[in-house]
Amino acid sequence: MVQTVRTVVIEGEPDSIEILQKLIDDFKAEEEGPPPDFVYKYDRLKMRAPALHFMSMSIFEAADYDPIFVIETNFDGLDGPIWAQLEAAIPSLRAMLRCCKRPAGPLGDVYDAISYRDSIFPLAPYLEAHMVKPRIFHLGNRGLDRTRILRESELFVACQDELMNAETRNPNPYRPATASEIHQRLRAALRPKFSWLDEPASPRIPKLENLTDRLRLIGLVLAVLLCLSIPGLLLALVSHSWVAIAISLAAAAMAARAIGDLGDLRQLIPKSASPGGKLKATIAGICGLTLYVLVFSFIGAAILALLTPVTFLGALKANFIEMLKAALLVLAVGLFSVLAILWWLRRLERRDPSQDEPPINDKLMREILKSEDHIVQNHMGSLVLVKPGALRAVLIRIGLVGLGLLLRVTARDGYLGDMRTIHFAHWALVSNESRLLFLSNFDGSWESYLDDFIEKAHSGLTLAWANGVGFPPARFLLLEGATHGRLFKAWARHSMTVSRFWFSAYTEYSVNQIERNAAVANGLRRVRFDNAEDAKTWARNL
Amino acid sequence: MGAEPVKPKGEADAGKWGLTRPQWKDIQSFVASGLSQLPWGQALFLQIDRPGGGWLRSLRALEPIKKGLGPINNADGLFEEAVTIAFTWTGLQRMGLSDETLKTFTTPFREGMHQEDRRRRLGDEATRGTIVREGLQWSGNVPPEDPSITPAASPKTVHALLLLYDWDEGAVERWALSVQTHLNTQGVTVVHRLPLSLNLDKLDKEIVAHEHFGFTDGRLQPEPYLQPPAGNADETYRWRGIPLADVLLGYPNFHNNNEIAPCPLVPFSDQSTLRADGAPEGYLNLGLNGSYLVVRELRQDVAAFWSSLESAAATMRKQGPHSSAITADWLAARIIGRQLDGSVLCPPGVTAPQNDNFGYLANDPYGFGCPFGSHVRRANPRDGLARDARSGPNLLDAANHHRIMRRGRNYGEKIADRMVDDGKNRGLLFMCLNTDIARQFEFVQQTWLLNPSFATLFNETDPLVGPKGPMTIPEDPLRRVIEVETYVKLAGGEYFFLPSVSALDYLQGL
Repeated sequence: MVQTVRTVVIEGEPDSIEILQKLIDDFKAEEEGPPPDFVYKYDRLKMRAPALHFMSMSIFEAADYDPIFVIETNFDGLDGPIWAQLEAAIPSLRAMLRCCKRPAGPLGDVYDAISYRDSIFPLAPYLEAHMVKPRIFHLGNRGLDRTRILRESELFVACQDELMNAETRNPNPYRPATASEIHQRLRAALRPKFSWLDEPASPRIPKLENLTDRLRLIGLVLAVLLCLSIPGLLLALVSHSWVAIAISLAAAAMAARAIGDLGDLRQLIPKSASPGGKLKATIAGICGLTLYVLVFSFIGAAILALLTPVTFLGALKANFIEMLKAALLVLAVGLFSVLAILWWLRRLERRDPSQDEPPINDKLMREILKSEDHIVQNHMGSLVLVKPGALRAVLIRIGLVGLGLLLRVTARDGYLGDMRTIHFAHWALVSNESRLLFLSNFDGSWESYLDDFIEKAHSGLTLAWANGVGFPPARFLLLEGATHGRLFKAWARHSMTVSRFWFSAYTEYSVNQIERNAAVANGLRRVRFDNAEDAKTWARNL
Repeated sequence: MGAEPVKPKGEADAGKWGLTRPQWKDIQSFVASGLSQLPWGQALFLQIDRPGGGWLRSLRALEPIKKGLGPINNADGLFEEAVTIAFTWTGLQRMGLSDETLKTFTTPFREGMHQEDRRRRLGDEATRGTIVREGLQWSGNVPPEDPSITPAASPKTVHALLLLYDWDEGAVERWALSVQTHLNTQGVTVVHRLPLSLNLDKLDKEIVAHEHFGFTDGRLQPEPYLQPPAGNADETYRWRGIPLADVLLGYPNFHNNNEIAPCPLVPFSDQSTLRADGAPEGYLNLGLNGSYLVVRELRQDVAAFWSSLESAAATMRKQGPHSSAITADWLAARIIGRQLDGSVLCPPGVTAPQNDNFGYLANDPYGFGCPFGSHVRRANPRDGLARDARSGPNLLDAANHHRIMRRGRNYGEKIADRMVDDGKNRGLLFMCLNTDIARQFEFVQQTWLLNPSFATLFNETDPLVGPKGPMTIPEDPLRRVIEVETYVKLAGGEYFFLPSVSALDYLQGL
């Protein structure tokens, strides 16, 4: 099942912000109530928006912009019904939107239609018009829909109860049993209540989705390579002599020298990488590059051959050396382009001001702290200005899209580096792409979440956030940055606002626990374990 | 016990942790060592009734405090006693430290251990059953910055903690009483006093400390390094090396791009012996060579602990032949995460490591030896939170970013029979040093000890210091789950600032 992350970002009316705050607070109080006609807290929202995993409403305020009202939704399926569901679930949503600015242009008419007194005009078109798609999003339990998470959790608890009750029996029938026998006994005990155990589980990541993710990543890499090749291609049209190749390589070497700390990029090689692994990576790199040159020259030669009226093979042979030269030139110029960009980037990074002691609003901070650590999960919302400049504008987009696609392909099991504490998190560019919004629903305390970033996933985090104004000094967009732990935490705290309303559909379960529940359920779906070792591995999850 | 005075380790300490002898001269002895040569002690909790630092000056002039309060290698021959002093935020305020300086201390210290959000994070809410029945007895009673919040006051207000260590039990008690009399004349009241000990016992050839439940204690410390050693050969560094900056204020933290964390500052003055190291222009560094001391008085109900485990073991034995070997000692070892004699719990067939340089990933990845949820494994998971061998080194590094230097001591006398409640008050005066309270002590408490989702566990917290609840003991093919009551409860606690010798000079001049 596919999961979708969508955020609505609307400019608030400064004079009405206190009313908006109160509406959100009142809605929260009502949901905690529990709401009229409902038995449990948050049940109205949970039932009326049946695909919703996490949702938040917050208001970002700062000296340099009018308040921004942000509604974050993380849900199953494709977008469509979610806004109508929210309208039904949040009776004061229309009143909240009335506290926002009337947009200019045709959208103003929609605003009028939804906001006049007693209006029943659907809110969905207006919300959709303010909807922002994430540049990167990360899912901890990808492919597990809410229904499945909840019922597998229920199954896990039932397992625990069954095993706990057995402890009081003398002798305990589960105690001398083998793992396979435990499986049989548990399955027999639970199947009557959990009839869905007989249905096969749907695949978490459909093959097509998998393929699309990979193709998009490959597409992005090829597109970037093509862009980097353009100067070389142009030059190759004019000349493709050995001299030009040599000059390009010399220029590349000079750029590398000018950068100075280029060698530090070696830090990106994981410490735990074995010498064999490093060798393999180097060989793979060289092979890839050679392949790139050969493919390029072959395609070029073939095109030229087709255009030449003499025999195809003969022309191909004649053109091949020339094309190889041209390919080498493209490669050499491409190398220079990369190093020139890095040089430019390092120049920017050396001059970027970083904010060591961002001012922190004590009252807001108190509110944020007060809202944290009530359940096993927490929420954070942060909004920062994007650094200016043409290079930054390009890098932030390629960086975010590239990292996003890379995560789709590599972080399929929920691990971000060595951390797996994120349920739903995303980065989006908002306010005409001038600000970077980060929203995350994670396990554990804020301190431990940030420490995870600092210690276990700092490169990726720096790549995404180092384009924010005031971020601790980074190098090559990947190094340092977040590893300035204290500065990074202060900067992140400063960029946050209080998560005024926050909803989780499963407040007790961490990402790891949801995976554990899924593993237990998958085992119980099986009629029997044929292999004793598999049964043992499964039983360790109980 | 300890009938002979012990030779100082002064010479050996030069160069320890990468610091020079002049640097050590500025550091209170408590930082350098657990002072196990001086097994008896008294903890005096002081309330300062008059402003100013005059009382500190007169206290420091008193023999033998003059000799014992300061660096570890100051004694001119025999090391007979040691004195440590640390202050709460309200204590420093009472002594007259300026508001400007008070603001430069770290946030947890400024807010105090019992600020309402912090209480929730540290699991110190009375509703969780982790506080002694009569309620919290002492704290710094730090007033909340926001006047609209009602302060979480304790009946006794502690401004400073004075620790007196000696090698004789009677002598240290007499000493404490004389110090108390002297302090009274200086307008300082001892509002609370605890006799401290290490419960030393001879185990094989070694003399080891025990906590009240009977487990050996005081081992398993991190090892501070000013800079990482060259090469990869240093096993101690690899397994438990931490930046010196995590123990002492004012030093570059190699884990954090060699940054020096902010220290408490006082305005520059020519007269002061304080140094400017790391302080911004116009200030002197009050924190240099000092540290933050976390103190928690944890009352232990020894008889109830062992009786409940005896009955739990008896119930489990009835379940069948697979459980026949379960005893109270077996269960207690799983709760603590060590055998009573301190040896490491290992899965069947694995030899226990002989020193502290080891991880869990290679030998005990499933917790079949030392359960994930045991106190020791939660308090320092080493590389045990890694998902595979590849991520082991990184997770070990990450874990070592949250270590604390423990300096705790028992209070109250040793129980005669662990099964019989003698009605006496005893427990652990938990003390630890760290420089970033949020990243070190609070992280350990919140993210490891009290985390209901720690490792692969669900809805259970530390069996020792957490509230009542289940604890999983992994076993193939089926784990056991036991229900554990709370036998360790908080009676008082606060964050203290442990100054350097030159900072003490400054404070006594207030």
